[in-house]
Amino acid sequence: MTRLKVFRWKAIGPLLILLVIAGVLWWVFADTIARRETQKVGTQVLGAKVEIQDLHLDLAHGKVLIRGLTVASPHEALRNLLQADELVADVDMVPLTEKKVIINRIVANGLRFGTPRQTDGRVAAKSGEGIAGRVLAETHQWASQFQVPVLQLATGTISIDSLDPRRLSTIPAAAALDARADSSRRSWQSAFDALRLGPTLDSAQATLEQLRRARATDLATLNAARQAIDRLKRARDRMTTLERNVTQGVANLKSGLAGLDGARQRDYAFARSLLKLPSLNAPEVGAALFAPGAIRPFERVLYYAQLARRYMPPGLLPRATTGPGRLRRAGEDVRFPKERTLPRFLVRSAELSFLLHPTAERPQRYAGRLSGLTSDPALYGRPTVASATGPQLGAGVMLDHLHGIPIDTAGAIVGGIRFPVFEIPGVPLRLDPGAATTQLGFNLNGDTIRARFAIRSSNVRWSRDSALGNSTIGDLIWRAVSGIANLDVEARLSGELHHPTLAVRSNLDQAIAARLRAVLGEQVAAAEKQVRDRVDALVNAKVVAVRARVTEVQNQAQAQVTQQRARLDELQKQLERRLRDLTRIRLP
Amino acid sequence: MFALIKLIQSLFGALHSEGTPGQLAAGIVLGSFLGLTPLVNLHNAVIFAALVLLNVSFAGGMLGWAVFIPFGFVLDTLFDWIGHSLLLAPSLRGLWTSLYNMPIVPLTNFNNTVVLGSVVFAVLFAVPLFFAARLGVTRYRATIGERVRQSRWYRAVMASKVYNVYKLFKP
Repeated sequence: MTRLKVFRWKAIGPLLILLVIAGVLWWVFADTIARRETQKVGTQVLGAKVEIQDLHLDLAHGKVLIRGLTVASPHEALRNLLQADELVADVDMVPLTEKKVIINRIVANGLRFGTPRQTDGRVAAKSGEGIAGRVLAETHQWASQFQVPVLQLATGTISIDSLDPRRLSTIPAAAALDARADSSRRSWQSAFDALRLGPTLDSAQATLEQLRRARATDLATLNAARQAIDRLKRARDRMTTLERNVTQGVANLKSGLAGLDGARQRDYAFARSLLKLPSLNAPEVGAALFAPGAIRPFERVLYYAQLARRYMPPGLLPRATTGPGRLRRAGEDVRFPKERTLPRFLVRSAELSFLLHPTAERPQRYAGRLSGLTSDPALYGRPTVASATGPQLGAGVMLDHLHGIPIDTAGAIVGGIRFPVFEIPGVPLRLDPGAATTQLGFNLNGDTIRARFAIRSSNVRWSRDSALGNSTIGDLIWRAVSGIANLDVEARLSGELHHPTLAVRSNLDQAIAARLRAVLGEQVAAAEKQVRDRVDALVNAKVVAVRARVTEVQNQAQAQVTQQRARLDELQKQLERRLRDLTRIRLP
Repeated sequence: MFALIKLIQSLFGALHSEGTPGQLAAGIVLGSFLGLTPLVNLHNAVIFAALVLLNVSFAGGMLGWAVFIPFGFVLDTLFDWIGHSLLLAPSLRGLWTSLYNMPIVPLTNFNNTVVLGSVVFAVLFAVPLFFAARLGVTRYRATIGERVRQSRWYRAVMASKVYNVYKLFKP
């Protein structure tokens, strides 16, 4: 009997050769693999292309050198978020065996922001996939709630879109009130029938007749009269309860009628919005002019804040994230953070050296610091802090995700920024803000947002579009703003994150509003009357009918109650009087 | 085409090799791990090393791998569900947390739902697969094996040069 061999010893040689080949391949291609993986992960995390020219791993010394880093903007097609000439990272090697990346220090040189690029680098915006895609879609949806009607007076025409009766709230409200009135009438009639007053009244009437013929010694009749009075009293109590219900129901119907008035006011406002006519109040002019532009910085900061919340969640509970992309299903990677262990990713500190205005003749060099950027803030125990300072720059960020409610705060003031010339929405005017000072304050505490964005410039330039050529209104707006050299715009956002309040004001508001009000006041009033008339024509028939119905139901119910109550009272009074007469003691 | 020829060669090469039905079945079982679970993972390096070092049918391993790759793709939804259920089971949280924070273990990607689900499935599936494969090979050799070996078609396929590569690892 031959003994079965368990091991195939002759295969050790080929296996070792295979290992050596794998080692050599790793040695040759490690940098390329690491570069591609870094690009892939970075792109997935940020939702925009991350490109690296060259990456070198120096595992013996725990260093990673990256040259030519380009991170595209997730929001703008042909713009980079940042570029860096060189990044050197000191990596802790031992935690790599636990698949944890701990970077003790990063030195980044030659950072540049907002540089142009040749190709569209957006990934999440196009695919909508992954965490970045979802967050981008959410923030975009969030920003779209601030739809401020644009100024559309440049041509001087006031147009009214067709008014769809199905979009008016008064008509369904009137129908509902009509149904309620009908239901109340039926309910009260049922309650009234349930009182069964007829037999009680008839019996009391009969007893009264007997009592009129009775003598003082006819004790049975006297007792019957007393019982009839008791029955009448009980019937009156039930009637009182019903009367109370009727009174309350009538009050509700009246409140419904008042609601119809409110609905009509809303319909007026809706119809007025179809006028494509801005309000002539100064704050709304400011919103119409600058809100579409002012909401953009909030949207972008919120995007990064929400990304940080997804990738740096508070607490130590297991967390599932989408697994790595591969031919097979990606599945989910579940992380299991544990107290007093290292986080999965940590940058202890980073020193940043960057340029502002890189295309200027003399670009300005700034320095910044970042610390505590981690995937598990609860394990690291300190918030992520970043700051940058310079002659015309002050910026700071703090992401405090240590506790149950994360608090994200950011603030920046940057001077000398040249914004591109932009067209004012709805008005063919172009504004060149020149070199402006920009301020941003952002605080997201749990789900409560408070943010402020301001631009100040003292040398703005206005230019007019040819479409304004023969327009009276265009001329008026042009005359109102062209002499203004200062620009002071401030947007404030506050309230619950899902539905905050946006307030935008600018120094142009009063000037434009006053000029518009002077010229357009009468036209606007006439147009508004026209839309009110249209609404009235559509809803009046319904509302008048409902009012009549409610009044009828109300009168009918109240009359019925009053009439029956009077009969009850009268009978009770007669019975009591006759009883008193019979039982009065007459002295001889 | 090349892959198909290679698969056919693997199949018949394994069935007609000198290895016992048990060796062939063990090879198929190890190969099924490679096919059922996502390939680029540390556990598959161990499986491959076992396939090479243990005295099992390497051809059977290749056969198992090739046969179970499509099953892996098809069953990914099931693996995801199994992995998800196991990884998020409160009673197992302590175990996963300990493993996740150990050296080396996280490199196996056990915390991925598809990886864990497919490995668990492959382990559970290994025993019935081993016995079924062993029975199948035994029956094949006892019935039509010799007729196939004598057929021209078989000789034509096995004459291919690719077969020679396989022979290097025959048991």
